[in-house]
Amino acid sequence: MTIEDQLRAILRDVLGLGAERAAAIETDTPLFGAMPELDSMAVAGLLTEIEDRLHILIEDDEVGGEMLETFGGLVDFVKAKRGG
Amino acid sequence: MTAARCPRVHPYADGEFMLAYGPPDGPQLLVLQPLFEEMNRCRAMIAGICRALAERGIGCWLPDLPGTGESLRALDDIRWEDWLAAIEAAATMVRNETSTLPSTFAIRGGALLDQAAVSRRLRLAPTTGRSLLSDLRRSALASGSDPARPAGYTLSPALVDALANAEPSADGDVRTLRLASDDRPADRRIDGTPLWRRPEPATDKGMEVAIVEEIASWIAS
Repeated sequence: MTIEDQLRAILRDVLGLGAERAAAIETDTPLFGAMPELDSMAVAGLLTEIEDRLHILIEDDEVGGEMLETFGGLVDFVKAKRGG
Repeated sequence: MTAARCPRVHPYADGEFMLAYGPPDGPQLLVLQPLFEEMNRCRAMIAGICRALAERGIGCWLPDLPGTGESLRALDDIRWEDWLAAIEAAATMVRNETSTLPSTFAIRGGALLDQAAVSRRLRLAPTTGRSLLSDLRRSALASGSDPARPAGYTLSPALVDALANAEPSADGDVRTLRLASDDRPADRRIDGTPLWRRPEPATDKGMEVAIVEEIASWIAS
């Protein structure tokens, strides 16, 4: 599974999205502030699930800004954390 | 049928309670629930699994650990050793009541404690203590509450220390189930929804049935 597919699966699981909606998430799909399921409490679960499944550690001060703005921002953040 | 669907309340350990479903003369299963908020989110699923197993002749025992659920003790006074001792006491009580050593089915953080029961262990989506603590801290930050009392949970420093290093024990006879969308090591993957992540109460009947089938064939093997 690619990082993109893994992140789609995590978003689907954590937010309870249907399969079609999760599959339709693209690089420029807006996340925080645009996806109603993704409130600040859901972000907490999302980050922990990303840490567990993608084997990275996310510091509190890294959260926010571009990282949660769009799906592409989240993908870039995770890829950078994993060393490319 | 009615007897299987209505659990009995059993005291165990010192002032703790567990629910018992099903007959005393079949295989016996000690069910270890997730920890903290995940326990509430999974409660309906776990009760459904216990009822379905009871109807198949499998006895299910569902302890509320000290400081959780129906326990009379406060969580802030609980140490990790209290939980391990409670599970050992619960397993001993099941053996005394039924003459059968129970197998364990542990969900999420429950898998951090299942070695206390010394028996065959089945796990659903086991997690680490570090991950649970991260979740509690982030939820507190998100809700604007004090990170020392995340989401109303006050943990003793001793419990936090023990959790920070807690990992599911690999010793002994362990079988691990994970969701199909989770690619960490597992003996079997099942299609389903991580109900422990859902802030709104949710159910997943298909997943519940798959788990019941899995437990019934595992406990008979």
